[in-house]
Amino acid sequence: MPSVRSFEVGDVDAVADLFQRLLRKSAQPAGDDLKTYLRALFLDLTDRDPDIRSRVHVRDDGSVSGFIGVLPVQMEFEGRPVRAANCGTFACDDRESDPFAGARLLRDVLSGPQDFSFTETSNDVSTDMWRSMRATVLGPYSLEWLRVLRPAAFALEAAAGRMSALRLFTPVVKAADALIARRGGKSSWISYTPLAGKADAFADVAVDDEEFATLSQSFLAQYPLHPAWDNATLVAMLQHAKRKALHGERVQHAVKSRTGKAIGLYLYYGNPGGIGRTVQILAAPGQESVVIDCLLRNARERGLVAMRGRTQPILLNAMIGKKCTFLHASSTVVHSRNPDLLAAMTNGHAFLNGLAGEGWTRLIGDRFG
Amino acid sequence: MTDETRTAIRAFVVENFLFGDDSHPLPADLSLIDNDLIDSTGILELVSFLEERFAIQVADADIVPANLDTIDRIAGFISRKQAT
Repeated sequence: MPSVRSFEVGDVDAVADLFQRLLRKSAQPAGDDLKTYLRALFLDLTDRDPDIRSRVHVRDDGSVSGFIGVLPVQMEFEGRPVRAANCGTFACDDRESDPFAGARLLRDVLSGPQDFSFTETSNDVSTDMWRSMRATVLGPYSLEWLRVLRPAAFALEAAAGRMSALRLFTPVVKAADALIARRGGKSSWISYTPLAGKADAFADVAVDDEEFATLSQSFLAQYPLHPAWDNATLVAMLQHAKRKALHGERVQHAVKSRTGKAIGLYLYYGNPGGIGRTVQILAAPGQESVVIDCLLRNARERGLVAMRGRTQPILLNAMIGKKCTFLHASSTVVHSRNPDLLAAMTNGHAFLNGLAGEGWTRLIGDRFG
Repeated sequence: MTDETRTAIRAFVVENFLFGDDSHPLPADLSLIDNDLIDSTGILELVSFLEERFAIQVADADIVPANLDTIDRIAGFISRKQAT
């Protein structure tokens, strides 16, 4: 009879194959780089909570037909320790011959010892499955924000994603954007003009992983439900996030006042001419708007054509008036039997997504050899 | 296994997988999988329904076509669970 058990070293090759075929939609066999990474992420990191493990679905013959990658996250809710399971990577084979395999796997994971389970990368099929398990979709955490910085170049970049030859028109669209910029005026949702404001009083400075981790801790404390990372854990995660070849160069900055006091942080990836991807924005209470302004200015100065990222309720409020567009690509879904935890999450009092999700891993945005 | 059990299961299937279309003949031995009436999502809804309606505990290992692919099999599964 098929069964579900913990992910083990001997499953790495099979899971890498599932990942490559079902999630990356690639016919190429999984390489050693991906296999090594899956082992590092889902086996080595889980030492932090040995009871919360990634799980595999196994056929009668012992071969692996499904996988849910689980990253244990130690969290804190109103001062009390809470165990969370971040269940982002979900792949299941044999939909024709065993249509219930995914259901068995998800039920098994959600019945684990954690206080709550969540994913920030749930597609529509997974979301329906989670909902069937009485999970809750967090709407304000499930939107992608997009701010266009150079409208003509953004349109070209978006189209060139499907037809790269269109990039031959880059000089033309640069001229068009220069013309739009010269006309000046107020920002609209299709053009961006940095306006004088509070952000002028602050500077963006590159920070190393240690400083980023230390500052993150101070900004996280405002959330009643937040990860209880120590610096070593956060630094290790930032090491994972060092490279995202598909998303571009990493920019890891603190926003500081003239006296050197940090009011926020941002971490994004992007190259000139491309669309930047924000993994994390963190700010001192009430300073979110300034930090977002600094992020957008930096991206524009570096020649990016647009910025995007995942919403959190506190950022959503700060983005009102900044001419962002909001879209839905994947959902943040949570499952818990604890009504207080659920209430904290549905009321926007939880720090989820980005670093408290899968955004820091190489599985999002990196290329594997 | 009673007609009442089968009727309750049938009503659930019609309501949730046939969107209320009760003109479907839905014989008790019709495969819900082969006829694309149920998938991974649907089975989780069905299991939640069975646990609540019939006060049984469904183990992950129970979620197999042999137990849940037809109305007859589901009714038999409920009987066995209630007998233990």
